[in-house]
Amino acid sequence: MGGSGSRLSKELLVEYQDLTFLTKQEILLAHRWFCELLPQEHRSVEESLQARVSLEQILSLPELKRLIALHRAAVKIAMQSAWPSACNTANPFKERICRVFSTSPTRDSLSFEDFLDLLSVFSDTATPDIKSHYAFRIFDFDDDGTLNREDLSQLVNCLTGEGEDTRLSASEMKQLIDNILEESDIDRDGTINLSEFQHVISRSPDFASSFKIVL
Amino acid sequence: MLRQWSVQASGEPEPEPAGEELWEQEMERRCSSQEPVRLLPYAMVDKRFIRQLREPEGVKTSCWQQWRHRQQTAGRRLGEAARRLARGCGLWEGALYEIGGLFGTGIQSYFTFLRFLLLLNLLTLLLTTSFVLLPLTWLRPPDRGPALNFTLQCPGGHQPQTGVPKFNNLLWNVLTGRAFNNTYLFYGAYRAGPESSSVYSIRLAYLLSPLACLLLCFCGILRRMVKGLPQKMFLGQDYRSPLSAKVFSSWDFCIQGQEAATIKKHEISNEFKVELEEGRHLLMVQHQTRAQRACHLLTYLRVNILIGLLVVGAISAIFWATKYSQDNKEESLFLLLQYLPPGVIALVNFLGPLLFVFLVQLENYPPNTEVNLTLIWCVVLKLASLGMFSFSLGQTLLCFGRNKTSCESYGYNACDYQCWENSVGEELYKLSIFNFLLTVAFTFLVSLPRRLLVERFSGRFWAWLDREEFLLPKNVLDIVEGQTVTWMGLFYCPLLPLLNSIFVFLTFYIKKYTLLRNSRASPRPFRASSSIFFFQLVLILGLLLAAVPLGYVVSSIRSSWDCGLFTNYSAPWQVVPELVALRLPPPSQRILHYLGSHAFSFPLLILLSLVLTVCVSQSQASARAIRGLRKQLVWQVQEKWHLVDDLSRLMSEPGSGDSLGPASPHSRGSRPRSFCPGFPCPGSPGPRASRPEPSLEDPNGLRGVRVPARSCRFPSGSEL
Repeated sequence: MGGSGSRLSKELLVEYQDLTFLTKQEILLAHRWFCELLPQEHRSVEESLQARVSLEQILSLPELKRLIALHRAAVKIAMQSAWPSACNTANPFKERICRVFSTSPTRDSLSFEDFLDLLSVFSDTATPDIKSHYAFRIFDFDDDGTLNREDLSQLVNCLTGEGEDTRLSASEMKQLIDNILEESDIDRDGTINLSEFQHVISRSPDFASSFKIVL
Repeated sequence: MLRQWSVQASGEPEPEPAGEELWEQEMERRCSSQEPVRLLPYAMVDKRFIRQLREPEGVKTSCWQQWRHRQQTAGRRLGEAARRLARGCGLWEGALYEIGGLFGTGIQSYFTFLRFLLLLNLLTLLLTTSFVLLPLTWLRPPDRGPALNFTLQCPGGHQPQTGVPKFNNLLWNVLTGRAFNNTYLFYGAYRAGPESSSVYSIRLAYLLSPLACLLLCFCGILRRMVKGLPQKMFLGQDYRSPLSAKVFSSWDFCIQGQEAATIKKHEISNEFKVELEEGRHLLMVQHQTRAQRACHLLTYLRVNILIGLLVVGAISAIFWATKYSQDNKEESLFLLLQYLPPGVIALVNFLGPLLFVFLVQLENYPPNTEVNLTLIWCVVLKLASLGMFSFSLGQTLLCFGRNKTSCESYGYNACDYQCWENSVGEELYKLSIFNFLLTVAFTFLVSLPRRLLVERFSGRFWAWLDREEFLLPKNVLDIVEGQTVTWMGLFYCPLLPLLNSIFVFLTFYIKKYTLLRNSRASPRPFRASSSIFFFQLVLILGLLLAAVPLGYVVSSIRSSWDCGLFTNYSAPWQVVPELVALRLPPPSQRILHYLGSHAFSFPLLILLSLVLTVCVSQSQASARAIRGLRKQLVWQVQEKWHLVDDLSRLMSEPGSGDSLGPASPHSRGSRPRSFCPGFPCPGSPGPRASRPEPSLEDPNGLRGVRVPARSCRFPSGSEL
């Protein structure tokens, strides 16, 4: 925690502030967090920027509940929970989130900059445009650029959970997906593309407040 | 990447696949656009890359550009800070976050609403203090002149009470407000010299500050309401939130913890099932015969008329209770009678919703209709009870609809009340205190024991009883009632916002305690956006309910002869014409006269109607255009399908298919390709400039890459 060698340089901080929606304290805290996951000898600044953390390590982080004293209590509480809530076991989209934001060839590990991107998109000040863009990518389970029926049914299954009483029956699922496509598929090609998705989302004022992690 | 760009620079045309051409166009577009890099939906490496393309390192940015960049950053930071300030200075951020994480944004919006109300009250207080109280204490106007020495002609010869209570207990005096009779809490203690002799008109400030506060609150609430307005119904679809928007925005990413997630999944599942059932019900209704529809309508009317009768009964009970309490002010059951009206109001608002729920459930409506109907009637009951309360007060004090000689001669019931504004202020003060005490009592005397008992004993009864459910609409209505009472009392009891701020502040912690310890989650989810809209709507209704009596009193009712600021005026509003005549030069007076006359308001009305007509016709034209464009879009896609079918037919004929391999971008696909606006991303055919990623090795190999029939990918960074 706050090791002597792991302080980000000023230029790097300014650059990150320029490229994301995060404030300086949030970036610093994210960096400290990230260093916690690395083995002790690799915690210098240069190595932390190059290192990658696997999905399993990230998922193990809910155990990390230590309070890190920082300037504002709100950021402290928010950031303390931000990491777990992005990728913890309670979030049904955890794998998709990690996959979307990862830049590694195998798409299963996050670097520090990927993590910053993640926090930036989920932050309060991110524009609805960018949030809806990433939401589309998260919901696109087969990564083909459109939401087809399989994507939608996987999405609904994630939302309702796997329990017997919460799962929707096959006919209900079909009715639901038919309704969704009827409302959002403007060009009637059987799939929802990015523009249609953004159009639907723009009519829902709920979206911005639910698609965020930090207050 | 560098190779491609150098190819372009050298002007050599190369046969590029269509994908690459698109990619370059996209890159050019991104580089030349002015939008900040952070707004681009790409990974960090790509954003850096684009930024480098825009401003290559070799080129020095001029001082002007650097200065502008700094200004923009500073402006952005200032905007963010101002937004945080407007949202409440970061008050209670941690608690709100915790609640949102455990219970979702629906219940969190209630607590955000509490914070908003606290802000409104503090602002009102600030306005009142700075315009009325501070000048009053500073200018120190002369004390009241000798008391008006005339005896009132009252039947029965009794004179108005001077306000000295029979019981001199301090606690009772505080609870009924008698202890503060001569303080600045109530109207009666304010004094001012004649208008012609003072520099600053306390009367004008006192008159205008409630009106200004109400206007500001109205604007603030309206702004918030518009933000939460579901923006769908205006395109001719039916009056329901689109299901697709619900599906896409239903997961609360703020939730942490496994149990909260499980509860949320249950909620979402229930919501979907309910929506689907509603849809089926709607379909069924559309296929009903006329007789069935008439029958349905009759049952609808029946339930509503029944509930309406109950509401009428309830508010007449309130009317009688208020009258009784006012008529028997000095009886032996003093305190009980003092608190009789608030007690009856609370009882009515407690039993009413239970009865409504029971009656509505008898009728077997679809779930959404049930909930909405109950909610509407609860709101009506709440506001009607407050309205009836103020009406019956008016009747007692100002003789509405009654013929009492004292009212006719003095303009108010002077024989019974020396200072009627103080009486009104006291009643509202009591109502406010009673509501708060009731909240506290309910939490600690009902919810807490219930939870303890349910935890301790296990049996069928206790399992059925379970912990209290945190009913969002009920809590919202309670807090809105408190705020409406505060607004009603702005003129009579100017420091009531201070009291209400303290109550709202304490209510936050009490409700948070109840929520976290004594309650369980409600099975019916309350969407945050419709909640925000609903809360603000009820608040606006409360504000209008408070503003109407205030306007009436200020413009037409005679103030007390003996106390307060407006003793010599026929109505408080008369101060304004007097001041206009005294202070303003004649041209301004003429202008103001004109603005207040009919000759101005009729043309204004006509102008506003014209503007409204233009707006409405414009929106109708836009709706028509949207319909036309949607049809065009569908036709275009169908045309694409036809072309693809034709092509595949042509290509399947023997002898023509070999030259075009499946690698061609024009290969037939089972579906037409859909290009999303973000396609292609800089990660797709193109190497990285700085990062040593494995994809750099073979930019050439990408040329022959098979652009997949299933189109748009979002490769980022080093995926290729």
